[in-house]
This record gives sequence, C-alpha cells and structure tokens, in this order.
Amino acid sequence: MKNSFDEKILEEAHDWVKTNQKVVLATVIQTWGSSPRQVGSRMIVNEKGDFSGSVSGGCVESAVVRECIGLIKDNKPSKKIEFKVSNESAWEVGLACGGEIAVYLEQVN
Amino acid sequence: MKLQILKSIIEKKKNKSEFAIITNLKTGESEIFEKDKPLSKEMQVYTNQINNCFKSKKNGVIENSEIFVETYILPIKVIVVGAVHIAQYLVDFAKSLNFEISIIDPRGYFASEQRFPDMKIINKWPDEAFNEIDTNENTALIALTHDPKIDDPALQHALNKKFYYIGALGSKKTHENRCQRLKEAGFSDEQINSIHGPIGIKLGGRSAPEIALSIIAQLVSETYKK
Repeated sequence: MKNSFDEKILEEAHDWVKTNQKVVLATVIQTWGSSPRQVGSRMIVNEKGDFSGSVSGGCVESAVVRECIGLIKDNKPSKKIEFKVSNESAWEVGLACGGEIAVYLEQVN
Repeated sequence: MKLQILKSIIEKKKNKSEFAIITNLKTGESEIFEKDKPLSKEMQVYTNQINNCFKSKKNGVIENSEIFVETYILPIKVIVVGAVHIAQYLVDFAKSLNFEISIIDPRGYFASEQRFPDMKIINKWPDEAFNEIDTNENTALIALTHDPKIDDPALQHALNKKFYYIGALGSKKTHENRCQRLKEAGFSDEQINSIHGPIGIKLGGRSAPEIALSIIAQLVSETYKK
C-alpha cells in the first residue's frame, strides 16, 4: 500500500511541548461503517483547547477537545472514547455520515 | 505517550526509516517496532500480528487485544527532471504530501539554490544522476524539460526500472515525436503507452501553478491505483 499523505501532527505536538504547553494526542484507532477519516488520523489539543489536525470531518472535534481538556485537568494518562451515529433531536455530537469511530486520547509526558 | 518516544518517532521519520508504533491501550505505554528488532517482553506475545500489520502497512487494533499498531511508511520518491518554473510549484504542493522530490537538471542556471531553497538538486545529466539515486517500481518520474537530450535518458531509465508513474510534459506533437524515438530505441508499445503524456489531468489552466496542480493530482491518483 502506498500513501501520498504525510501527517506532520507529531512534529507539531513536539513544537507545542517545547513551548511548555500540555499536549494530548487524539488518535482514531478503530472505525466501523463510513467514517470520514482513516485509522491513524490524529489531532492534538492543549490545555486551553487549541487544536490542530482532525479525527473526523469536523463532526466530533469539539467533543474531543472537551475530553482532552478533562484528561489534563484530571491528570489522567489516557482514555478511549467512542462516537456513534448522531441523533438529530439531541444536542450530543455524533457522526452525520452514520459511521462509528473510537478515539484514543493520551497525554504527552 | 512519553516525550522520548515522540522525539524518536520524529527522528525516525526524518531519517526515512520504516517502523511502527505499538501502544498498549490499557496502560498507555508505547514502544517503537522496527524490523528484526526485538519487542519488549510484554509485546512479544503479539509478534506475529505486529509483523503482519507491518508487512501489509496497516494500522489498527489487534483482534481480541488492547494493542494498537500504527505503521509508518517511507515517502514515495519522485524524480523531477527539469528545474523549471512548474517544478518550483510541484515542490510547494508536495510539502504536505508524502512525496520526497529530487530534481535533476544539468543546466546550472536552472538548478540554483536560490530558486529551490532546501531542495536536493542534482546538477548532472540524468544518466549520471541516476547513479546517485536508488530507484525501483515505487518511484515516480516527472519529466519537464521537453528537451529530448535531457528527458529521453530519464524516461528510458524509468521505463527500464518500471517506475509506477511516468509523466512527460509537452504538446501532443512533442509527445508523438517522443514516442517515436522511444520506439526506435526498442521500447514496446505497452511500455510507451504507460507514459502519461501530455502530463497531468485536464484542468484547463495553463499557468505554472495550475500545471503543477494537474500533475500532482494525477500522481496522487496513480499512487492510489497501485
């Protein structure tokens, strides 16, 4: 398999760490059905909620940011979260495409 | 992830080595896997599964486990012949993609460092330049000089080494003449037809960045066809 795309997100995470920011890596580890981004896709989040990269097409990023900030606050090393099909009548976030994804959050320490 | 692991991943990417990151989702511990190097005791149980992911360049969680494997593949080598205006834009577009561009141009004025900062430019004729680059069926060639003296030897090398993508700039007429020369040099119709000429997908634009975009689009498309 070839891949013509190179995520430079870990390089960016390192730059953030160098400027004393707390960084959480969020990685897509599993997908079911039609999910917008492949396994291995990443975003990084700092303690202020700034983020870079993506784990979906914008569908669940805001929830991931919240979870990452929580991880830093609670000083937990890692956590796994899952997102399922969105429910239009609820305020919860979800994937409009009907897919499911599992995202692994881990602090850089 | 430990900062030390993050740093070594970045280092390994820079050094163009192939590796995988193995993460225990339960403990959050991760380690780097490289071919023929032993895994930690904890991960040794999964040696076969990890090797399979590594060989097939797949990312994912190993079945019935909490182990996540992420493989890092080498960038694709793209040889550009001709340090021309279009090549400057190709370099720009390739920055966020997994292509490693090398430019060959024997003409000193074109291959200047000022025109291509931070780029590896080989200021030699293709025959000589290819002695310095390891090429195979995972390599791509973009020939941009439309000067037979420079392009033809590079095209012949690419055909002999079965590059997965070969594109050559030039009008239909230029390309017809090129095909004729390659035929006379002993290449088969099948080989000659594998050359993308005129190069790029049809976007309609004729400026240097537009042509570069059409070439990169075709290169990406051919990359995923493999």
